[in-house]
Amino acid sequence: MKSGRRRLPLAWIVTVPFFAYAVAFLFLPAGEVLAGAFKGVHGGWTLSNVTGLRHQPYLNAFKTSIEVSLVTALIGGIAGLGLAYAAIREGTPRAIRSALTTFSGVAANFGGIPLAFAFIATLGSIGIATQFMKNQLHIDIYAQNFTLFSKTGVEIVYLYFQIPLMILVIAPAIDGLKREWREAASNLGASAFQFWRHVGIPVLMPSILGAVILLFGNSFAAYATAYGLTSGAVSLVPILIGYYYTGNVLDNPHLAQAMAFGMFVVLALMMIAYIPLQRRAARWAK
Amino acid sequence: MEDYEEQEVEFWRKLEEEGMSRSSMLRRSIAAAAGLTVLSSPGIALASRFGGAAAPPLRGKTAGLKTIIANAKQEGKLNTIALPPDWANYGEILSTFKTKYGISITNDNPDGSSAQENQAIVSLKGDSRAPDVVDVSPGFAISGTRSDLYARYLNTNFGTIPNSMKDGRGYWTGDYWGAVSIGYNSNLVKTPPKTWQDLLKSDYKGKVALNGSPLTSGSAVAGVFAAALGNGGSLSDISPGIDFFAKLKSSGNFIPVQSTPQTVASGQTPISIDWDYLNLAYTKEFPSAGWKVVVPSDGVYGAYYCQAINANAPHPWAARLWEEFLYSDQGQLLWLKGYSHPARFQDMSKRNVIPKALLAALPAASIYAKVKFANSTQQTAAKAKIASDWPSKVGS
Amino acid sequence: MTLSAAVWLFLGIAYFLIPLVATFLFSLRAEPSGKCCHLKSYGFVVHNGDFWHTLRISFMLAIETIVISLAIFVPTVYWVHLKLPRLRPVIAFLALIPFVVPPIVLVIGLLNVYRGTPAWFYAKPWGILAAVYVILAFPYMFFALDAGFRSIDVHTLTEASQSLGASWPTTLFKVILPNIRVAALAGSFLALAIVMGEFTIANLSQFHTFPIFLQYVNETQAYPAAALTLLSFGITWAAMLSLLFVGRGRTSRPTLIAGGR
Repeated sequence: MKSGRRRLPLAWIVTVPFFAYAVAFLFLPAGEVLAGAFKGVHGGWTLSNVTGLRHQPYLNAFKTSIEVSLVTALIGGIAGLGLAYAAIREGTPRAIRSALTTFSGVAANFGGIPLAFAFIATLGSIGIATQFMKNQLHIDIYAQNFTLFSKTGVEIVYLYFQIPLMILVIAPAIDGLKREWREAASNLGASAFQFWRHVGIPVLMPSILGAVILLFGNSFAAYATAYGLTSGAVSLVPILIGYYYTGNVLDNPHLAQAMAFGMFVVLALMMIAYIPLQRRAARWAK
Repeated sequence: MEDYEEQEVEFWRKLEEEGMSRSSMLRRSIAAAAGLTVLSSPGIALASRFGGAAAPPLRGKTAGLKTIIANAKQEGKLNTIALPPDWANYGEILSTFKTKYGISITNDNPDGSSAQENQAIVSLKGDSRAPDVVDVSPGFAISGTRSDLYARYLNTNFGTIPNSMKDGRGYWTGDYWGAVSIGYNSNLVKTPPKTWQDLLKSDYKGKVALNGSPLTSGSAVAGVFAAALGNGGSLSDISPGIDFFAKLKSSGNFIPVQSTPQTVASGQTPISIDWDYLNLAYTKEFPSAGWKVVVPSDGVYGAYYCQAINANAPHPWAARLWEEFLYSDQGQLLWLKGYSHPARFQDMSKRNVIPKALLAALPAASIYAKVKFANSTQQTAAKAKIASDWPSKVGS
Repeated sequence: MTLSAAVWLFLGIAYFLIPLVATFLFSLRAEPSGKCCHLKSYGFVVHNGDFWHTLRISFMLAIETIVISLAIFVPTVYWVHLKLPRLRPVIAFLALIPFVVPPIVLVIGLLNVYRGTPAWFYAKPWGILAAVYVILAFPYMFFALDAGFRSIDVHTLTEASQSLGASWPTTLFKVILPNIRVAALAGSFLALAIVMGEFTIANLSQFHTFPIFLQYVNETQAYPAAALTLLSFGITWAAMLSLLFVGRGRTSRPTLIAGGR
């Protein structure tokens, strides 16, 4: 490579197609939405849409959305990591790994009414798991005040696509956790726990963090499943946006756009927290 | 002066009395001017396309059914939107139209909302996939008229449609109405509920469902309205209805599952508060569920939907033929077969053209006589109340 | 296989399979008895012309989305890892924007912005719909590819390849791509699943894709809906398995350059 050439302008040119595409199909439409958050019903600019968000029911929706997303991102992250590792590393037959990753690909996008119905058929009041627990194990979960149509129920159902997503995204990283390192570590007398604590997790940490952020965003933006499950009884931000944008009853597109702006702020804060964490983790990985 | 022309004059007079603001006045005139230019060009385009076929007519009677059929057949296609085949027998209506006139129909987005229908008219303007006709709730029919989305058309039977169910100028016409009913699975529900108060009984724990959330589903709003009427409320006061559902929720009777054919068939929603035409259709569709329907006499709330023609319809003649078909005796009886009350019900029963068997399939006429419809002011107020109160009182 | 791995796998399998079993049991029912066991619902689905028609459209759309996504994102992520590491957090941030703008809102913006474009773009699914699906796949593609590029030593591979006289395209296709094969496949799986499952945008822009058909059957039929759910699950899974074999068959053993350290 000729070191005398000015590399910087040339380097940026390669990213032009990407940015052009992003501008055309992401920024323009998204920009119109985010700008619309500040428009009034009769034209003109206003802050009232956005400031109105700090009242109920919007505040509640944001709180619930964030909570559900955090819970499913963390649990999904841990469970996904465990499953992925179990399938990929430990001398597991190749077929199981292929089956798991392809299944995860499908399950990661299984949602909406079909998923809601599948869980109602499983854990609903006359679901097969509920009946099994009641009749064979003599545990009546509904008598214990469990109900699928609650925040917890939504979290249980959301994990169905969060865990596979984690598996899919972390699999390449686990692959990269070279087998030789594990063998070398055990040759040096390290136990499995020590390996994970000093080598495995630190090396994987940047990818884990990225994956968890992805899971958070995925859960935050999902709504078809929760609506199919609870018809909006569990108040989530995307559901509210749907009501105001194209429902049969309510009609206030600028309010919906303001809520989208709110989502943007939440995710931006997440990213801002992610950057120093990720830098720290990358240092460990080196 | 004929009936509707009188109304037209009245309407314009009322509008002047309202006293619009200057800016809305300006906007309306600009829109009207734009509408005029837009309306004229399809006429010309059409003329050139069909080598001389006239611009689509305003009145069905003047144009004559034969001309309409001929021109529609030449167009050969009709685009409909948001017509679920199992909703008030639309499936049979669509296929009968297709066979009778040999015009193919593309039915988009069968589960679309009224907002999406109007939105499609706007986003697909000028596209050949744009919907020719829409079937929307009155609130959206009115706002669609205001936004100049529709063309005026007075079908042959326009005069026999009740005044309260149509726009005098011909922008939209009510097509069918239904009342809120309680449907229940007689295998899982041993004591049948008969009134709104009954639903509070402890026998129905974990059994009562709506067709969606009233924050987005029109039939759920109607359910709350009907509950309001049955609990001392009125068309102007929906809060007793919201409180009723709050009570239902705290007693554990209410489950926030949207009732669909799946949940009805599987028994997940043993009691469903929904339109009578939907609940009655389930009776035939799922005999294993032993589905029975009752219209609670202590609160009978009804609502109708409205037909309108896209001002920029890609197939304007087919659109008008569709309306002629729907408002003919044959079309109206097909709706009755779907357990809904067609708009020309009174006119047809006066002329004795309704088969007794169809009438017998519906609950007693005496209950329907009590039905109340909310006008657009009451609807808007009710929706606002639901938007502010429902999430805190009923939603979690 | 260790015990802990077996336990994880068993719990995972139980959690994922039981809801599918519940759906399956429901799909075997039919009227008028409302009980097991009939295959009528599956017959209803398989003999439905709309089912095959929309399935074909969605498949082709998925392939198109995957090809365009890889063509745009692989070189970009490669370049960023190689030369512009400071751009990475920026792109990672951008990758979250598709989540923030819910599809319902994005599609209205899209339709408004692109309304005047020619019919081959605006009125066909291969145009505007594929374009937006690439954007929807972007976060998943990016994070998958990012993890993949992290796990290989990009600089060493590139320098080695170039010192052997290879041009940039050769480096990219013959050296880098085989090494991030797993990541690219993971991203492609997700893109495929997204296209086979995306409903809102296709619905509001009036295209007839497979998820539209799925939703319609779910809202109007009882038992066939469950049958269709399982069929679509199975079909998408089969598609992924075939993607896997295509990806595997194309490459010989990954080059040993990476293992040479």
